[in-house]
Amino acid sequence: MKNAVRSLALLFTLLALAACGKSDPASPTSGTGASGASAKQRIVVWWFQWDPATGLQELGREFEKETGIEVVVEQIPLGSYQEKVFLEFGASRTRFDVVIGDSQWIGRGATKGLYVELTDWLPTVVDLATIHPRAAKYLCEYPDGSNRWYAAPCETDAVGLAYRKDWFADPAEQQAFQAKYNRPLAVPTTWEEFADVAAFFQRPEAKRYGCALPSDRSYDGLTMGVQNFLWAFGGRWHAEGSNKVVGELDTPGSVAAIEFYKKLVKLGPNGAERLDYGQVLEQFTNGSTAMICNYFAFFPGLAAKFGDKVGFAVVPGHNGKRVASLGGQGLSISTRIPKEQQELAKKFIAWFLQRKVQEQWITKPAGFTANADILKSEAFRKASPYNAAFADSVETMQDFWNVPVFNELLAVTQRYVGMAVDGEMETAQALKELAVEKERILKEAGLL
Amino acid sequence: MSERGSRGLKLGLVAPALLLLVVFNVFPLVYNVVLSFTNAELVGDGSRFVGTANYARVFSDPLYSGALRRTALFVFCAGGLELALGFAFALALKREFRGKALVLTLALVPMMLSPAVMGLYWGLILNGNYGVLNQVLGELGLAQPQWLTDRSLKFWSILLVDVWMWTPFMALVSLAGLSSIPPQIYEAAEIDRASAWTVFRRITLPLVAPLLGLAALLRATDALKQFDLVMATTGPNDAATQTLSTLLYQVVFRDGKVGLGSAYACVVLVVVIALATVFTRYLDRLKGAQVPR
Repeated sequence: MKNAVRSLALLFTLLALAACGKSDPASPTSGTGASGASAKQRIVVWWFQWDPATGLQELGREFEKETGIEVVVEQIPLGSYQEKVFLEFGASRTRFDVVIGDSQWIGRGATKGLYVELTDWLPTVVDLATIHPRAAKYLCEYPDGSNRWYAAPCETDAVGLAYRKDWFADPAEQQAFQAKYNRPLAVPTTWEEFADVAAFFQRPEAKRYGCALPSDRSYDGLTMGVQNFLWAFGGRWHAEGSNKVVGELDTPGSVAAIEFYKKLVKLGPNGAERLDYGQVLEQFTNGSTAMICNYFAFFPGLAAKFGDKVGFAVVPGHNGKRVASLGGQGLSISTRIPKEQQELAKKFIAWFLQRKVQEQWITKPAGFTANADILKSEAFRKASPYNAAFADSVETMQDFWNVPVFNELLAVTQRYVGMAVDGEMETAQALKELAVEKERILKEAGLL
Repeated sequence: MSERGSRGLKLGLVAPALLLLVVFNVFPLVYNVVLSFTNAELVGDGSRFVGTANYARVFSDPLYSGALRRTALFVFCAGGLELALGFAFALALKREFRGKALVLTLALVPMMLSPAVMGLYWGLILNGNYGVLNQVLGELGLAQPQWLTDRSLKFWSILLVDVWMWTPFMALVSLAGLSSIPPQIYEAAEIDRASAWTVFRRITLPLVAPLLGLAALLRATDALKQFDLVMATTGPNDAATQTLSTLLYQVVFRDGKVGLGSAYACVVLVVVIALATVFTRYLDRLKGAQVPR
C-alpha cells in the first residue's frame, strides 16, 4: 500500500514539475524571438486581411533591406480582428508591437493606456502640417482638438462608389434611361439620381440588380453604410463640439436619411439588408449589380477583374451636401511591449512616414497615404483608376464616434438602425430610443 | 492496509479530480462572482468595487430581458421539437428493417458535426440571394423567403437548424431507452390484449420517461448556451436572434465590460441551476414512481 501511495506522490510531483516548467517568455511571433544579442530584430504589425496589408508587408521588406530589422505584417480576418486585438491587450505582453487599429479605437487605446502616446515624438520625425487634417483628426488624435497623438497615419480610407461603366455606356441602356427619366444615364451625383439609376437597373428576373450597400449587423457595416446618408440629409450622430445626442440624432433629417437608405436596400439583391463589405464586393464581382458603395481600399480587386468595365466615383450627395464615411487606420505602438521593441516600432513608423516611402506606398494596391501634398498630386490621382475619386473624397470624410465606449455606441446603433431598416420599429421611434440609449452610455462613461 | 494508508490512497485517488475541479470550476466561479461586483474591464488597469450596480443594470436592461425571453423560447421550442421528433424517429427505428444501420448512421451525421461549421454551411444554404434553398425554391416557382434577414423568420430559421442538428441525439437516447424495456412486459400486455395505444401510454412512455427527461435536461442546458449557430448566421448583435450567450459575448468581448458580463453570467448560472434542480427532482420522482411496491 505504501508503494502505491509513494507512486501516486511521485506522479503528482512529476506533473507539478511539468506544469511549473518555465515557459519561453519570448513569443514565437513577436519581438526579437529567442533572446540574445545575435537574434534578428523583428517588428510584428497586426492589421486585418486586405490588399493594403499585403502592400505594407512589401514595404516592410524594403525597410528590412535598409535596416536589417524584419517587419512581419500579420493579417487577421476582419470579422475577429477587434476581439483578437483587445484580448491581446489584456495580456501583459502583446504579440504585436504595432497595431493598425480602426479609427474608432483610438479613444479606447488612448484612455486605457494601450497605445503609446506619440505627441512629443511624432513631430520629430514628420512635419505634422503635411498630414491631411481629417486623417490627423480621426486617425491619430484623442480627444478631438487636444493635439495629443496616439497613432501615426497609415491608411486613409473613405466610402466610394463603384459602377459598371460598360452598362452605363451601353447605347440601348442609355436610350431606355433617357426615355424613362428624361435625362442621360450618367454617374449619379445625388442620392436621388442614384436611386433612379438603381431602380432602372433593378431587374431581378434577369438576375441583375441596382445597387448594394454595406448593411451587415455583425460589426459596423450598417452604420458605415447609413452614415453617408445621415450626414448628407442633414442628420448627425451628436452635436457639433459636444456629445449631446438627444435632439441631435432624432431629427427629421436623420429620419429622412434612414428612410432613403431603406428604399435603396430594396433596389438590391435578395438579402441586401445584410451585406458585409465582402458580400457587397461579391455582388459586384459576380457581375449582377450596377453600383456598389464600399470602402475604396476594397476596390483594387474590382479594378483588376473588370479593367475598363468598372468606374469609380465619390459617393453622391443630397441638396449639395456630400459626406463620405471615413474608414482609415493609424499605426499605434503597444504599451504592452518592452521599451526596446517600442523604439524599433518608432524606427519603422519614422521610416514609413518619410515622403519617399509614402510615394512608394501609393504605388501599392490601395496604398492611401495621409500626406496632403501627395494626395493632391497627379502622381497619386493617376496611380490607380480609383485614386482620383478617393482623393476627392478625402475632403468630405467624416467618422463615427471614437470615444472609449465607441463599441457600445456602435452596438446600439447597429441594433436600433437595424430595427428601423428591417421595419421592426418606426424609424423616428428607433432614433429617439437610440439617442436616449446613447446618452445613457455616454453618461455612464462620464462623457456627458 | 493500515487505516492511515487507506485514507492516503483514497485522498491520492480523489486529489487530481478535486484539484481540476477547484482550478477549472470552483475558482473561476468564485472569481466570476467577485468580478460581478466590480467595474472590471477587459483592458485597462485596475477595477473598483461597485456594489450591486451591475446587478441593478442586469435587471433593468431590456437587452437582457429580451435575450432571456428569446433563449427561453429557444430552449422550450428546440427541446420540445427535438424530443417529439427524436422519440417518433426512435419508435420508427425500433423495428427491424433492411438498411436500418445505414439510416441510423446517416441520421447521426448532423450531431457529429461542429455547430460552428454547420452554422456557416447553413448560412450559405439559407442565404436569401444565392443560398441553395432559395435557388431550389426559385426553380420550383415558389416564393423565396429571406430566411436569415426577415425579422419574422430569422429566429425560427436558426431554431430549425438546431432541430436538424440535435433531433438525432434525442432519437439515439430514446432508442437506447426503448431497447432497454424487457420484451416480457410487451408479451404480458399482448396476452392481456392491451391496445397499441395502451401499451404506448402505460408501458413504453413511463419506462422511457426517465431517460427522455435526462436527454431533455442535457439538451435544455445545451440550448441555453446557444451561441455557435447564432454567431455564424446572424451575429451577436441582432435584435431578433440575440441569445444570452451572444449577449454575453457582446458585453465582454466587444464592449470589454467584464464586471457587467460577470453579473450577466451569474444570473444565467442561477437560472441554469434552477432549471437543473427542477429536472433532477422530476427525474427523482419518476425513479421513485418506478420502484416496485
